[in-house]
Amino acid sequence: MTLANAVVLNLYRADNFQRPVAGVVCVVVMVAWTAVAVWAYAAPRRRTVGLLVADLAVAVALLAVTPLVKGDGFNATVPGFWVAGALLAWAVRYRWVGGLLAAVVLSATDLLVREEITQANYGNVFLIVIGGPIVGFMCGSLQEMAAERDRAERTAAAAAERARLARAVHDGVLQVLSLVQRRGAELGGEAAELGRLAGEQESRLRTLIRTQERTAERPGEVGGDAVLDLAAELGRLESRAAVTVAAPATPVELPADVVRELCAVVGACLDNVAVHVGPQAPAWVLLEAFADRVELSVRDEGPGIPAGRLEQAAAEGRLGVSESIRGRVADLGGTATLSTGSFGTEWEIVVPLGRR
Amino acid sequence: MSADTAEQAIRVMVVDDHPMWRDAVERDLQQAGFDVVAVAATGTEALARFKAARPQVVVLDLQIPEPDGVGVTREALAHDPSARVLVLSASGEQADVLEAVKAGATGYLVKSASREELLDAVRRVARGDTVFTPGLAGLVLGEFRRLADPAASTDPMQPQLTERETEVLKMVAKGMSYKQVAERLVLSHRTVQNHVQNTLRKLQMHNRVELTRWAIEQGLDED
Repeated sequence: MTLANAVVLNLYRADNFQRPVAGVVCVVVMVAWTAVAVWAYAAPRRRTVGLLVADLAVAVALLAVTPLVKGDGFNATVPGFWVAGALLAWAVRYRWVGGLLAAVVLSATDLLVREEITQANYGNVFLIVIGGPIVGFMCGSLQEMAAERDRAERTAAAAAERARLARAVHDGVLQVLSLVQRRGAELGGEAAELGRLAGEQESRLRTLIRTQERTAERPGEVGGDAVLDLAAELGRLESRAAVTVAAPATPVELPADVVRELCAVVGACLDNVAVHVGPQAPAWVLLEAFADRVELSVRDEGPGIPAGRLEQAAAEGRLGVSESIRGRVADLGGTATLSTGSFGTEWEIVVPLGRR
Repeated sequence: MSADTAEQAIRVMVVDDHPMWRDAVERDLQQAGFDVVAVAATGTEALARFKAARPQVVVLDLQIPEPDGVGVTREALAHDPSARVLVLSASGEQADVLEAVKAGATGYLVKSASREELLDAVRRVARGDTVFTPGLAGLVLGEFRRLADPAASTDPMQPQLTERETEVLKMVAKGMSYKQVAERLVLSHRTVQNHVQNTLRKLQMHNRVELTRWAIEQGLDED
Protein backbone atom coordinates (compact mmCIF):
# COMPACT_ATOMS: atom_id res chain seq x y z
CA MET A 1 0.00 0.00 0.00
CA THR A 2 2.63 2.50 1.04
CA LEU A 3 4.73 1.25 -1.88
CA ALA A 4 1.89 1.86 -4.35
CA ASN A 5 1.31 5.23 -2.74
CA ALA A 6 4.99 6.16 -3.05
CA VAL A 7 5.30 4.89 -6.65
CA VAL A 8 2.15 6.65 -7.84
CA LEU A 9 3.05 9.88 -6.06
CA ASN A 10 6.54 9.82 -7.54
CA LEU A 11 5.11 9.21 -11.03
CA TYR A 12 2.60 11.99 -10.52
CA ARG A 13 5.31 14.37 -9.45
CA ALA A 14 7.85 13.12 -11.97
CA ASP A 15 8.46 16.65 -13.14
CA ASN A 16 9.74 17.51 -9.65
CA PHE A 17 12.74 15.30 -10.22
CA GLN A 18 15.93 17.10 -11.18
CA ARG A 19 17.51 13.79 -12.06
CA PRO A 20 14.76 11.54 -13.46
CA VAL A 21 17.09 8.56 -14.00
CA ALA A 22 18.18 8.59 -10.37
CA GLY A 23 14.51 8.95 -9.41
CA VAL A 24 13.60 5.85 -11.40
CA VAL A 25 16.48 3.99 -9.75
CA CYS A 26 15.14 5.03 -6.33
CA VAL A 27 11.66 3.80 -7.15
CA VAL A 28 13.03 0.52 -8.53
CA VAL A 29 15.05 0.09 -5.34
CA MET A 30 11.89 0.65 -3.30
CA VAL A 31 9.94 -1.92 -5.29
CA ALA A 32 12.76 -4.43 -5.13
CA TRP A 33 13.40 -3.92 -1.45
CA THR A 34 9.70 -4.21 -0.67
CA ALA A 35 9.61 -7.56 -2.46
CA VAL A 36 12.71 -8.73 -0.58
CA ALA A 37 11.32 -7.49 2.76
CA VAL A 38 7.95 -9.17 2.21
CA TRP A 39 9.71 -12.44 1.48
CA ALA A 40 12.22 -12.05 4.32
CA TYR A 41 9.73 -11.09 7.03
CA ALA A 42 7.43 -14.01 6.07
CA ALA A 43 9.56 -16.59 7.90
CA PRO A 44 10.28 -16.01 11.61
CA ARG A 45 13.80 -17.43 11.30
CA ARG A 46 14.76 -14.70 8.75
CA ARG A 47 13.62 -11.85 11.02
CA THR A 48 17.13 -11.17 12.24
CA VAL A 49 18.75 -8.00 13.53
CA GLY A 50 20.56 -7.72 10.20
CA LEU A 51 17.34 -7.66 8.22
CA LEU A 52 15.84 -4.99 10.44
CA VAL A 53 18.96 -2.86 10.30
CA ALA A 54 19.05 -3.26 6.50
CA ASP A 55 15.37 -2.33 6.24
CA LEU A 56 15.93 0.82 8.26
CA ALA A 57 19.13 1.60 6.40
CA VAL A 58 17.37 1.42 3.00
CA ALA A 59 14.66 3.78 4.24
CA VAL A 60 17.23 6.20 5.67
CA ALA A 61 19.33 6.04 2.51
CA LEU A 62 16.32 6.84 0.31
CA LEU A 63 15.49 9.77 2.54
CA ALA A 64 19.11 10.90 2.44
CA VAL A 65 19.39 10.81 -1.36
CA THR A 66 16.24 12.86 -1.84
CA PRO A 67 18.08 16.25 -2.08
CA LEU A 68 20.40 14.72 -4.69
CA VAL A 69 17.54 13.36 -6.78
CA LYS A 70 15.00 16.10 -6.35
CA GLY A 71 17.34 18.94 -5.66
CA ASP A 72 17.38 21.19 -2.63
CA GLY A 73 14.13 22.72 -1.52
CA PHE A 74 12.09 19.61 -2.33
CA ASN A 75 8.71 19.25 -0.71
CA ALA A 76 8.14 15.47 -0.35
CA THR A 77 10.87 12.87 0.11
CA VAL A 78 11.23 10.08 -2.43
CA PRO A 79 10.02 7.24 -0.21
CA GLY A 80 7.39 9.40 1.54
CA PHE A 81 5.18 7.26 3.78
CA TRP A 82 7.01 4.16 2.55
CA VAL A 83 9.43 4.56 5.46
CA ALA A 84 6.55 3.56 7.75
CA GLY A 85 7.23 -0.07 6.72
CA ALA A 86 10.65 -0.07 8.36
CA LEU A 87 9.31 1.87 11.33
CA LEU A 88 6.51 -0.66 11.95
CA ALA A 89 8.89 -3.59 11.52
CA TRP A 90 11.09 -2.16 14.27
CA ALA A 91 8.11 -1.44 16.48
CA VAL A 92 6.78 -4.97 16.05
CA ARG A 93 10.14 -6.58 16.63
CA TYR A 94 11.58 -4.45 19.45
CA ARG A 95 8.39 -3.10 20.98
CA TRP A 96 8.27 0.54 22.03
CA VAL A 97 12.04 0.92 22.26
CA GLY A 98 12.46 -0.23 18.64
CA GLY A 99 9.56 1.96 17.53
CA LEU A 100 11.08 5.00 19.23
CA LEU A 101 14.57 4.32 17.91
CA ALA A 102 13.45 3.84 14.30
CA ALA A 103 11.18 6.89 14.55
CA VAL A 104 14.03 9.07 15.86
CA VAL A 105 16.47 7.89 13.18
CA LEU A 106 13.95 8.42 10.35
CA SER A 107 12.83 11.81 11.69
CA ALA A 108 16.37 13.00 12.21
CA THR A 109 17.30 12.03 8.64
CA ASP A 110 14.15 13.60 7.30
CA LEU A 111 14.83 16.88 9.13
CA LEU A 112 18.54 16.92 8.33
CA VAL A 113 18.08 16.58 4.55
CA ARG A 114 15.58 19.44 4.39
CA GLU A 115 16.61 23.01 3.84
CA GLU A 116 13.78 24.46 5.80
CA ILE A 117 11.34 22.82 8.15
CA THR A 118 7.68 23.67 7.69
CA GLN A 119 4.95 23.14 10.22
CA ALA A 120 3.68 20.16 8.18
CA ASN A 121 7.13 18.55 8.30
CA TYR A 122 7.21 19.02 12.04
CA GLY A 123 3.73 17.53 12.33
CA ASN A 124 4.73 14.44 10.34
CA VAL A 125 7.86 13.93 12.39
CA PHE A 126 5.94 14.38 15.60
CA LEU A 127 3.38 11.75 14.52
CA ILE A 128 6.14 9.29 13.58
CA VAL A 129 7.92 9.73 16.92
CA ILE A 130 4.64 9.30 18.84
CA GLY A 131 3.29 6.51 16.61
CA GLY A 132 6.42 4.32 16.62
CA PRO A 133 6.55 3.68 20.36
CA ILE A 134 2.75 3.36 20.62
CA VAL A 135 2.60 0.68 17.94
CA GLY A 136 5.56 -1.02 19.61
CA PHE A 137 3.86 -0.89 22.98
CA MET A 138 0.63 -2.33 21.56
CA CYS A 139 2.53 -5.15 19.89
CA GLY A 140 4.20 -5.92 23.20
CA SER A 141 0.87 -6.03 25.00
CA LEU A 142 -0.65 -8.23 22.31
CA GLN A 143 2.26 -10.63 22.45
CA GLU A 144 2.02 -10.80 26.22
CA MET A 145 -1.72 -11.42 26.02
CA ALA A 146 -1.21 -14.15 23.46
CA ALA A 147 1.47 -15.74 25.64
CA GLU A 148 -0.84 -15.48 28.65
CA ARG A 149 -3.68 -17.10 26.71
CA ASP A 150 -1.41 -19.90 25.50
CA ARG A 151 -0.30 -20.52 29.06
CA ALA A 152 -3.92 -20.60 30.27
CA GLU A 153 -4.91 -22.98 27.48
CA ARG A 154 -2.01 -25.24 28.27
CA THR A 155 -2.90 -25.23 31.97
CA ALA A 156 -6.55 -26.03 31.23
CA ALA A 157 -5.62 -28.83 28.85
CA ALA A 158 -3.18 -30.26 31.38
CA ALA A 159 -5.81 -30.08 34.13
CA ALA A 160 -8.39 -31.83 31.97
CA GLU A 161 -5.93 -34.56 31.10
CA ARG A 162 -4.95 -34.95 34.75
CA ALA A 163 -8.63 -35.22 35.71
CA ARG A 164 -9.19 -37.86 33.03
CA LEU A 165 -6.19 -39.87 34.18
CA ALA A 166 -7.20 -39.45 37.82
CA ARG A 167 -10.69 -40.73 37.03
CA ALA A 168 -9.29 -43.83 35.36
CA VAL A 169 -6.86 -44.45 38.22
CA HIS A 170 -9.48 -43.78 40.89
CA ASP A 171 -11.93 -46.10 39.23
CA GLY A 172 -9.31 -48.85 39.17
CA VAL A 173 -8.41 -48.25 42.82
CA LEU A 174 -12.07 -48.26 43.86
CA GLN A 175 -12.64 -51.51 42.01
CA VAL A 176 -9.70 -53.22 43.70
CA LEU A 177 -10.63 -51.89 47.15
CA SER A 178 -14.21 -53.13 46.75
CA LEU A 179 -12.94 -56.49 45.58
CA VAL A 180 -10.57 -56.81 48.55
CA GLN A 181 -13.41 -55.86 50.87
CA ARG A 182 -15.74 -58.40 49.37
CA ARG A 183 -13.26 -61.29 49.23
CA GLY A 184 -11.94 -60.44 52.68
CA ALA A 185 -15.36 -60.69 54.24
CA GLU A 186 -15.85 -64.08 52.62
CA LEU A 187 -12.50 -65.48 53.77
CA GLY A 188 -12.94 -64.33 57.36
CA GLY A 189 -10.28 -64.02 60.06
CA GLU A 190 -7.42 -61.65 59.36
CA ALA A 191 -8.55 -61.25 55.76
CA ALA A 192 -11.87 -59.95 57.04
CA GLU A 193 -10.01 -57.22 58.93
CA LEU A 194 -8.10 -56.32 55.75
CA GLY A 195 -11.38 -56.32 53.88
CA ARG A 196 -12.93 -54.00 56.43
CA LEU A 197 -10.00 -51.57 56.12
CA ALA A 198 -10.22 -51.70 52.32
CA GLY A 199 -13.93 -50.97 52.58
CA GLU A 200 -13.30 -47.94 54.77
CA GLN A 201 -10.74 -46.59 52.32
CA GLU A 202 -13.03 -47.29 49.40
CA SER A 203 -15.86 -45.27 50.86
CA ARG A 204 -13.47 -42.49 51.87
CA LEU A 205 -12.00 -42.27 48.38
CA ARG A 206 -15.44 -42.41 46.79
CA THR A 207 -16.62 -39.54 48.99
CA LEU A 208 -13.49 -37.55 48.17
CA ILE A 209 -13.96 -38.02 44.42
CA ARG A 210 -17.60 -37.04 44.61
CA THR A 211 -16.77 -33.91 46.58
CA GLN A 212 -13.95 -33.02 44.19
CA GLU A 213 -16.10 -33.46 41.10
CA ARG A 214 -18.80 -31.27 42.52
CA THR A 215 -16.27 -28.60 43.43
CA ALA A 216 -14.59 -28.80 40.03
CA GLU A 217 -17.88 -28.12 38.29
CA ARG A 218 -18.05 -24.68 39.88
CA PRO A 219 -14.47 -23.41 39.91
CA GLY A 220 -15.60 -19.79 40.12
CA GLU A 221 -17.05 -20.29 43.55
CA VAL A 222 -14.14 -22.08 45.15
CA GLY A 223 -12.55 -19.88 47.74
CA GLY A 224 -15.40 -17.40 47.37
CA ASP A 225 -16.97 -19.44 50.15
CA ALA A 226 -20.40 -17.89 49.63
CA VAL A 227 -22.27 -21.14 48.97
CA LEU A 228 -21.56 -24.83 49.50
CA ASP A 229 -23.28 -27.94 48.24
CA LEU A 230 -24.99 -29.51 51.24
CA ALA A 231 -25.36 -32.84 49.42
CA ALA A 232 -21.61 -33.08 48.77
CA GLU A 233 -20.70 -31.96 52.29
CA LEU A 234 -23.04 -34.51 53.86
CA GLY A 235 -21.56 -37.11 51.50
CA ARG A 236 -18.29 -36.77 53.42
CA LEU A 237 -20.02 -38.28 56.45
CA GLU A 238 -20.15 -41.60 54.57
CA SER A 239 -16.51 -42.07 55.42
CA ARG A 240 -17.68 -42.90 58.94
CA ALA A 241 -18.27 -46.58 59.57
CA ALA A 242 -21.75 -47.84 58.61
CA VAL A 243 -23.17 -44.44 57.70
CA THR A 244 -25.26 -44.24 54.51
CA VAL A 245 -26.11 -40.86 53.02
CA ALA A 246 -28.97 -40.47 50.52
CA ALA A 247 -29.26 -37.16 48.68
CA PRO A 248 -30.49 -35.74 45.38
CA ALA A 249 -28.25 -35.97 42.31
CA THR A 250 -28.30 -32.21 41.82
CA PRO A 251 -26.31 -29.92 44.13
CA VAL A 252 -28.15 -28.39 47.08
CA GLU A 253 -26.50 -25.02 47.38
CA LEU A 254 -26.89 -23.07 50.60
CA PRO A 255 -24.90 -20.35 52.35
CA ALA A 256 -21.63 -21.86 53.54
CA ASP A 257 -22.24 -21.17 57.23
CA VAL A 258 -25.66 -22.88 57.11
CA VAL A 259 -24.12 -25.91 55.38
CA ARG A 260 -21.34 -26.15 57.97
CA GLU A 261 -23.77 -25.85 60.86
CA LEU A 262 -26.11 -28.48 59.42
CA CYS A 263 -23.21 -30.85 58.85
CA ALA A 264 -22.07 -30.29 62.42
CA VAL A 265 -25.59 -31.02 63.69
CA VAL A 266 -25.85 -34.21 61.64
CA GLY A 267 -22.38 -35.13 62.85
CA ALA A 268 -23.56 -34.66 66.45
CA CYS A 269 -26.57 -36.92 65.79
CA LEU A 270 -24.24 -39.58 64.36
CA ASP A 271 -21.88 -39.22 67.35
CA ASN A 272 -24.88 -39.89 69.54
CA VAL A 273 -25.62 -43.06 67.58
CA ALA A 274 -22.03 -44.20 68.01
CA VAL A 275 -22.16 -43.57 71.77
CA HIS A 276 -25.59 -45.02 72.53
CA VAL A 277 -25.96 -47.79 69.96
CA GLY A 278 -22.38 -48.69 69.12
CA PRO A 279 -19.46 -47.49 67.02
CA GLN A 280 -20.31 -49.93 64.19
CA ALA A 281 -24.08 -49.40 64.38
CA PRO A 282 -25.62 -48.55 61.01
CA ALA A 283 -27.13 -45.10 60.57
CA TRP A 284 -28.83 -43.43 57.64
CA VAL A 285 -28.90 -39.80 56.62
CA LEU A 286 -31.47 -38.55 54.12
CA LEU A 287 -31.40 -35.09 52.58
CA GLU A 288 -34.37 -33.72 50.68
CA ALA A 289 -34.39 -30.31 49.01
CA PHE A 290 -37.59 -28.37 48.42
CA ALA A 291 -38.10 -24.93 46.94
CA ASP A 292 -38.62 -23.39 50.36
CA ARG A 293 -36.84 -25.71 52.78
CA VAL A 294 -34.43 -28.57 53.28
CA GLU A 295 -35.35 -31.67 55.28
CA LEU A 296 -32.83 -33.90 56.92
CA SER A 297 -33.34 -37.19 58.64
CA VAL A 298 -30.83 -39.11 60.75
CA ARG A 299 -32.03 -42.57 61.70
CA ASP A 300 -30.63 -45.54 63.58
CA GLU A 301 -32.03 -48.91 64.56
CA GLY A 302 -30.82 -48.90 68.14
CA PRO A 303 -32.91 -49.61 71.23
CA GLY A 304 -34.22 -46.03 71.29
CA ILE A 305 -34.03 -43.57 74.15
CA PRO A 306 -35.85 -44.87 77.27
CA ALA A 307 -38.94 -42.85 78.19
CA GLY A 308 -38.28 -40.15 80.75
CA ARG A 309 -34.52 -40.10 80.37
CA LEU A 310 -34.47 -36.81 78.52
CA GLU A 311 -36.87 -35.23 81.02
CA GLN A 312 -34.78 -36.53 83.86
CA ALA A 313 -31.66 -35.10 82.33
CA ALA A 314 -33.37 -31.75 81.86
CA ALA A 315 -34.63 -31.79 85.46
CA GLU A 316 -31.09 -32.39 86.66
CA GLY A 317 -30.06 -29.27 84.85
CA ARG A 318 -28.17 -31.12 82.09
CA LEU A 319 -29.16 -29.91 78.69
CA GLY A 320 -27.74 -32.93 76.92
CA VAL A 321 -27.08 -33.58 73.31
CA SER A 322 -30.69 -33.45 72.17
CA GLU A 323 -31.22 -29.95 73.57
CA SER A 324 -28.01 -28.78 71.95
CA ILE A 325 -29.16 -30.19 68.59
CA ARG A 326 -32.56 -28.47 68.93
CA GLY A 327 -30.87 -25.23 69.89
CA ARG A 328 -28.47 -25.23 66.97
CA VAL A 329 -31.25 -25.95 64.47
CA ALA A 330 -33.45 -23.27 66.08
CA ASP A 331 -30.61 -20.78 65.55
CA LEU A 332 -30.92 -21.51 61.83
CA GLY A 333 -34.66 -20.82 62.07
CA GLY A 334 -35.61 -24.48 61.78
CA THR A 335 -37.01 -27.25 63.89
CA ALA A 336 -35.58 -30.57 65.02
CA THR A 337 -37.95 -33.34 66.06
CA LEU A 338 -36.91 -36.51 67.81
CA SER A 339 -38.92 -39.69 67.55
CA THR A 340 -37.77 -42.74 69.42
CA GLY A 341 -39.10 -46.17 70.24
CA SER A 342 -38.40 -49.83 69.77
CA PHE A 343 -37.80 -49.14 66.06
CA GLY A 344 -34.82 -46.96 66.88
CA THR A 345 -34.25 -43.24 66.96
CA GLU A 346 -34.84 -40.68 64.26
CA TRP A 347 -34.05 -37.00 64.14
CA GLU A 348 -36.02 -34.98 61.63
CA ILE A 349 -34.58 -31.55 60.91
CA VAL A 350 -36.41 -28.97 58.81
CA VAL A 351 -34.73 -25.69 57.90
CA PRO A 352 -36.59 -23.07 55.85
CA LEU A 353 -34.68 -21.30 53.09
CA GLY A 354 -34.77 -17.58 52.57
CA ARG A 355 -34.98 -17.95 48.81
CA ARG A 356 -34.66 -14.95 46.59
CA MET B 1 -41.86 -64.91 33.69
CA SER B 2 -41.55 -65.27 37.46
CA ALA B 3 -42.51 -68.90 38.11
CA ASP B 4 -40.36 -70.45 35.38
CA THR B 5 -37.16 -68.50 35.87
CA ALA B 6 -37.00 -69.28 39.55
CA GLU B 7 -36.66 -72.97 38.67
CA GLN B 8 -34.40 -72.72 35.64
CA ALA B 9 -30.95 -71.19 35.80
CA ILE B 10 -31.19 -67.45 35.23
CA ARG B 11 -29.22 -66.32 32.16
CA VAL B 12 -26.88 -63.51 33.13
CA MET B 13 -24.40 -61.33 31.28
CA VAL B 14 -21.59 -59.57 33.15
CA VAL B 15 -20.26 -56.28 31.74
CA ASP B 16 -17.20 -54.81 33.43
CA ASP B 17 -13.96 -53.48 31.98
CA HIS B 18 -12.02 -54.61 35.03
CA PRO B 19 -10.98 -58.26 34.42
CA MET B 20 -10.51 -59.07 38.10
CA TRP B 21 -14.01 -57.94 38.90
CA ARG B 22 -15.56 -59.54 35.87
CA ASP B 23 -14.03 -62.89 36.79
CA ALA B 24 -15.00 -62.59 40.44
CA VAL B 25 -18.62 -61.75 39.67
CA GLU B 26 -18.80 -64.44 36.99
CA ARG B 27 -17.42 -67.06 39.39
CA ASP B 28 -19.81 -66.06 42.17
CA LEU B 29 -22.78 -66.24 39.83
CA GLN B 30 -21.75 -69.60 38.39
CA GLN B 31 -21.14 -71.12 41.82
CA ALA B 32 -24.61 -70.01 42.88
CA GLY B 33 -26.09 -71.82 39.88
CA PHE B 34 -26.66 -68.92 37.50
CA ASP B 35 -25.97 -69.39 33.82
CA VAL B 36 -23.43 -66.76 32.77
CA VAL B 37 -24.11 -66.66 29.02
CA ALA B 38 -21.74 -63.82 28.16
CA VAL B 39 -19.19 -61.39 29.53
CA ALA B 40 -18.04 -58.14 27.97
CA ALA B 41 -15.49 -55.44 28.70
CA THR B 42 -16.76 -52.56 26.57
CA GLY B 43 -20.08 -51.07 25.57
CA THR B 44 -19.72 -52.19 21.96
CA GLU B 45 -18.91 -55.76 22.99
CA ALA B 46 -21.77 -55.73 25.47
CA LEU B 47 -24.36 -54.75 22.87
CA ALA B 48 -23.13 -57.25 20.27
CA ARG B 49 -23.08 -60.12 22.76
CA PHE B 50 -26.36 -59.06 24.35
CA LYS B 51 -28.12 -59.60 21.02
CA ALA B 52 -26.46 -62.98 20.48
CA ALA B 53 -26.71 -64.41 24.00
CA ARG B 54 -30.09 -62.94 25.03
CA PRO B 55 -29.47 -62.77 28.78
CA GLN B 56 -32.34 -62.17 31.21
CA VAL B 57 -30.22 -60.02 33.49
CA VAL B 58 -27.30 -57.74 32.62
CA VAL B 59 -25.00 -57.03 35.56
CA LEU B 60 -23.54 -53.75 34.36
CA ASP B 61 -20.72 -51.50 35.43
CA LEU B 62 -21.40 -47.89 34.41
CA GLN B 63 -17.75 -46.92 33.85
CA ILE B 64 -16.96 -48.87 30.70
CA PRO B 65 -15.44 -47.81 27.37
CA GLU B 66 -17.88 -46.36 24.83
CA PRO B 67 -20.79 -46.53 24.75
CA ASP B 68 -21.04 -46.15 28.53
CA GLY B 69 -23.37 -48.02 30.87
CA VAL B 70 -26.24 -45.60 30.35
CA GLY B 71 -26.04 -46.06 26.58
CA VAL B 72 -25.82 -49.84 26.90
CA THR B 73 -28.88 -49.86 29.18
CA ARG B 74 -30.92 -47.83 26.71
CA GLU B 75 -29.85 -49.83 23.62
CA ALA B 76 -30.16 -53.25 25.23
CA LEU B 77 -33.65 -52.57 26.60
CA ALA B 78 -34.77 -51.13 23.28
CA HIS B 79 -33.68 -54.40 21.67
CA ASP B 80 -35.23 -56.65 24.30
CA PRO B 81 -37.60 -54.92 26.73
CA SER B 82 -38.03 -58.12 28.77
CA ALA B 83 -34.37 -58.06 29.84
CA ARG B 84 -33.40 -56.51 33.17
CA VAL B 85 -30.42 -54.33 33.98
CA LEU B 86 -28.76 -54.39 37.39
CA VAL B 87 -26.23 -51.59 37.77
CA LEU B 88 -23.21 -52.66 39.79
CA SER B 89 -21.00 -49.65 40.12
CA ALA B 90 -17.90 -48.70 42.06
CA SER B 91 -18.26 -45.15 41.01
CA GLY B 92 -20.09 -42.85 43.37
CA GLU B 93 -21.17 -40.79 40.39
CA GLN B 94 -24.75 -39.96 41.33
CA ALA B 95 -25.85 -38.46 38.04
CA ASP B 96 -24.76 -41.56 36.08
CA VAL B 97 -26.74 -43.88 38.29
CA LEU B 98 -29.84 -41.72 37.97
CA GLU B 99 -29.42 -41.62 34.17
CA ALA B 100 -29.09 -45.41 34.00
CA VAL B 101 -32.24 -45.81 36.06
CA LYS B 102 -34.08 -43.35 33.83
CA ALA B 103 -32.88 -45.37 30.83
CA GLY B 104 -34.55 -48.44 32.30
CA ALA B 105 -32.21 -50.11 34.80
CA THR B 106 -34.27 -51.64 37.59
CA GLY B 107 -31.59 -52.26 40.16
CA TYR B 108 -28.54 -50.58 41.63
CA LEU B 109 -25.89 -51.98 43.90
CA VAL B 110 -22.54 -50.55 44.94
CA LYS B 111 -19.61 -52.88 44.39
CA SER B 112 -18.85 -53.01 48.07
CA ALA B 113 -22.05 -55.03 48.52
CA SER B 114 -21.46 -58.58 49.71
CA ARG B 115 -21.66 -61.71 47.56
CA GLU B 116 -25.02 -62.63 49.08
CA GLU B 117 -26.40 -59.17 48.42
CA LEU B 118 -25.33 -59.43 44.78
CA LEU B 119 -26.83 -62.90 44.28
CA ASP B 120 -30.04 -61.82 45.96
CA ALA B 121 -30.18 -58.68 43.83
CA VAL B 122 -29.75 -60.66 40.58
CA ARG B 123 -32.54 -63.04 41.61
CA ARG B 124 -34.87 -60.20 42.52
CA VAL B 125 -34.16 -58.19 39.39
CA ALA B 126 -34.74 -61.32 37.26
CA ARG B 127 -38.12 -61.75 38.98
CA GLY B 128 -39.03 -58.26 37.85
CA ASP B 129 -38.54 -56.64 41.25
CA THR B 130 -36.64 -53.42 41.68
CA VAL B 131 -33.55 -53.39 43.82
CA PHE B 132 -33.18 -50.09 45.60
CA THR B 133 -30.39 -48.93 47.80
CA PRO B 134 -31.11 -46.04 50.17
CA GLY B 135 -28.80 -43.99 47.95
CA LEU B 136 -30.86 -44.72 44.82
CA ALA B 137 -34.10 -43.98 46.66
CA GLY B 138 -32.63 -40.63 47.68
CA LEU B 139 -31.68 -39.88 44.06
CA VAL B 140 -35.11 -40.80 42.71
CA LEU B 141 -36.85 -38.85 45.46
CA GLY B 142 -34.64 -35.86 44.73
CA GLU B 143 -35.45 -36.12 41.02
CA PHE B 144 -39.21 -36.04 41.68
CA ARG B 145 -38.74 -33.11 44.05
CA ARG B 146 -36.76 -31.30 41.38
CA LEU B 147 -39.41 -31.95 38.73
CA ALA B 148 -42.14 -30.81 41.11
CA ASP B 149 -40.39 -27.52 41.84
CA PRO B 150 -42.44 -24.92 39.92
CA ALA B 151 -39.31 -22.80 39.42
CA ALA B 152 -37.48 -25.63 37.68
CA SER B 153 -40.20 -26.80 35.32
CA THR B 154 -43.65 -25.82 34.16
CA ASP B 155 -44.12 -29.13 32.40
CA PRO B 156 -47.76 -30.24 32.50
CA MET B 157 -46.62 -33.82 31.85
CA GLN B 158 -44.32 -33.87 34.85
CA PRO B 159 -44.59 -37.11 36.77
CA GLN B 160 -45.90 -36.97 40.31
CA LEU B 161 -45.73 -39.45 43.11
CA THR B 162 -48.77 -40.28 45.17
CA GLU B 163 -48.52 -39.57 48.87
CA ARG B 164 -48.14 -43.26 49.58
CA GLU B 165 -45.39 -43.68 47.01
CA THR B 166 -43.51 -40.72 48.48
CA GLU B 167 -43.89 -42.15 51.96
CA VAL B 168 -42.58 -45.55 50.90
CA LEU B 169 -39.69 -44.15 48.88
CA LYS B 170 -38.70 -41.90 51.75
CA MET B 171 -38.59 -44.83 54.15
CA VAL B 172 -36.42 -46.81 51.73
CA ALA B 173 -34.11 -43.80 51.43
CA LYS B 174 -33.86 -43.77 55.22
CA GLY B 175 -32.45 -47.28 55.04
CA MET B 176 -35.51 -49.37 55.86
CA SER B 177 -35.98 -52.73 54.18
CA TYR B 178 -39.22 -53.44 52.33
CA LYS B 179 -40.17 -55.67 55.23
CA GLN B 180 -39.69 -52.87 57.75
CA VAL B 181 -41.65 -50.46 55.57
CA ALA B 182 -44.46 -52.99 55.25
CA GLU B 183 -44.59 -53.41 59.03
CA ARG B 184 -44.56 -49.69 59.70
CA LEU B 185 -47.29 -48.88 57.21
CA VAL B 186 -49.25 -52.10 57.81
CA LEU B 187 -49.06 -53.11 54.17
CA SER B 188 -48.11 -56.36 52.48
CA HIS B 189 -44.56 -56.82 51.27
CA ARG B 190 -45.92 -57.06 47.73
CA THR B 191 -47.71 -53.72 47.98
CA VAL B 192 -44.54 -52.00 49.13
CA GLN B 193 -42.66 -53.58 46.24
CA ASN B 194 -45.33 -52.33 43.82
CA HIS B 195 -45.16 -48.80 45.16
CA VAL B 196 -41.39 -48.75 44.71
CA GLN B 197 -41.67 -50.16 41.19
CA ASN B 198 -44.25 -47.54 40.26
CA THR B 199 -41.90 -44.72 41.20
CA LEU B 200 -39.27 -46.05 38.82
CA ARG B 201 -41.80 -46.69 36.09
CA LYS B 202 -43.05 -43.11 36.29
CA LEU B 203 -39.52 -41.78 36.04
CA GLN B 204 -38.67 -44.02 33.06
CA MET B 205 -41.93 -43.13 31.33
CA HIS B 206 -41.22 -39.44 31.82
CA ASN B 207 -37.75 -39.97 30.37
CA ARG B 208 -39.18 -41.66 27.28
CA VAL B 209 -41.73 -38.87 26.81
CA GLU B 210 -38.91 -36.34 27.10
CA LEU B 211 -36.76 -38.21 24.59
CA THR B 212 -39.62 -38.49 22.11
CA ARG B 213 -40.47 -34.85 22.47
CA TRP B 214 -36.83 -33.94 22.00
CA ALA B 215 -36.67 -36.12 18.87
CA ILE B 216 -39.77 -34.45 17.42
CA GLU B 217 -38.42 -30.99 18.19
CA GLN B 218 -35.17 -31.90 16.47
CA GLY B 219 -37.11 -33.16 13.46
CA LEU B 220 -35.82 -36.70 13.87
CA ASP B 221 -39.27 -38.15 13.23
CA GLU B 222 -39.22 -37.01 9.63
CA ASP B 223 -37.09 -39.78 8.29
